[in-house]
Amino acid sequence: MLNELCGDLSNRLNTGILILDNNFKILMWNRFLEVHANKSDKQVIGKSIFTVFPELPKKWFERKLSSVLQLKNQSFCGWEQRHHLFELSHSRPITTDSDFMAQNCTFLPIEVKGEVERICILIEDVTDVCHYQTQLNKVLQELALSNRIDGLTQAFNRKHWEECLAAEFSRAQRYKQDLALVMLDLDQFKLLNDTYGHQGGDKVLIDIAEVINGLLRMGDLFGRYGGEEFAVILPNTGLTGANDVAERIRKAIASNAIEYQDKNINATVSIGVAVMDEYDTRYEDIISRADIALYKAKNSGRNQVCLAKERIIS
Amino acid sequence: MNAFDLTEDQHDCLQELINVAMGQASDQLARYLDTFVYLKVPSIEQVRSEHLFDSLNHDLKATAIVSQGFFGYEGIRGEALLMYQPLDSNRLADLLGYEADELSFDEQMIDLSSILTTTFLNVFASQIDNQMSYSAPRLLSTNLTKVNEHIQQQSFNWDFALKVKISYQVTDYSFNCDMVLLIPEEAINNIKAVIDRILADF
Repeated sequence: MLNELCGDLSNRLNTGILILDNNFKILMWNRFLEVHANKSDKQVIGKSIFTVFPELPKKWFERKLSSVLQLKNQSFCGWEQRHHLFELSHSRPITTDSDFMAQNCTFLPIEVKGEVERICILIEDVTDVCHYQTQLNKVLQELALSNRIDGLTQAFNRKHWEECLAAEFSRAQRYKQDLALVMLDLDQFKLLNDTYGHQGGDKVLIDIAEVINGLLRMGDLFGRYGGEEFAVILPNTGLTGANDVAERIRKAIASNAIEYQDKNINATVSIGVAVMDEYDTRYEDIISRADIALYKAKNSGRNQVCLAKERIIS
Repeated sequence: MNAFDLTEDQHDCLQELINVAMGQASDQLARYLDTFVYLKVPSIEQVRSEHLFDSLNHDLKATAIVSQGFFGYEGIRGEALLMYQPLDSNRLADLLGYEADELSFDEQMIDLSSILTTTFLNVFASQIDNQMSYSAPRLLSTNLTKVNEHIQQQSFNWDFALKVKISYQVTDYSFNCDMVLLIPEEAINNIKAVIDRILADF
């Protein structure tokens, strides 16, 4: 009577039960698995688990079960590490995009007279958990990104850019590598705003950021420093290399007409370039030198690149 | 001092149970992993919830922590934390007998944690005529600062816990990790009852 009840119960559980002998032959399974694997008893009972579920990673699976057999331990396999072991259908085929049931699997040793002769595998459907956790992770990533990005230009915002500079500065100092900084300021931005309105000004900022972004290499870090001021960190780059990058940016912007309401806006930038030297103790030191060079470029007639003077301290 | 302090006899008895379990567990692990596993003499102490973070942090600069709950009859339960230092992931797969590309580093750590925890606790449980069940092991974080934040931000619903720390060393693979068993207040009383029974039998 109780046996019957247990059998009935195992067929009503929303958990898969699979019992194997120590040669990985399937001795028993419950209704949950029968339904989700869509196979009949005849195709399954007495067959090797690798024949019935050819998708199983055989070597890994055998090693995993050897710990259950030898150490008589429970063992686990969670969806966060392996989305699924068995290719089974699941209970949210419409409202999730999961092809197969996400699973938490537990491997239990069943001892007979002190020896493990059977292994019970419990398979839980965690498609739901997996779906919501994945969504949560995505949102957290987006949130982390939007914390670092300037909404208008999609460049890094000032705060994140400075954090990057601080990190690159200490890295360059530690490994005695070059580090260059390029600071750019849009020429006569106030005039642009007065002529084309603030939306026109915004369009210029967006387009310029796009042009600069297209000219940078992997590893360069581009941020919006202030209103119409941008800055690029160039790791592993000396003065000549940084000057090349700056000139390329200057020319590209000067020759790129920005379309706004059927009009062409011609914008130019003034650029200051500085490199880290052995006397720098703080990353702010490079910023101030690049800033001084930038103002020199402005005062010398705009649309040009100025290099910060190398310091010679005797 | 507080109500949960173990008497000297209780402490010695628990220490002895753990030492014996350690010996058997390391023997089983050595056979399964096919290499020597050294375990240092475990330490047993009580921690206050507000000192848990300091106490864990003091032990080692872990880079990853895997947690696994355990529960047996007579109200014996707790949480096992496996704490890992930076290590070479390929060697860990070697140690476990997997090909390195068969499983991710996280999975290797979780797999090893589960093996270490369950092997030790199964032997321990059999010594006190008990039987343990386990929750699935979970990676709390692969980044210590995040674990710190996680633990510091929690307000615990317990004041004291019994902390048992066992260090594992696998010299052939230059691999170390610490297993920290934390047993909450309520369960300490249950363990004390079991220990008293064992002591009475002598």
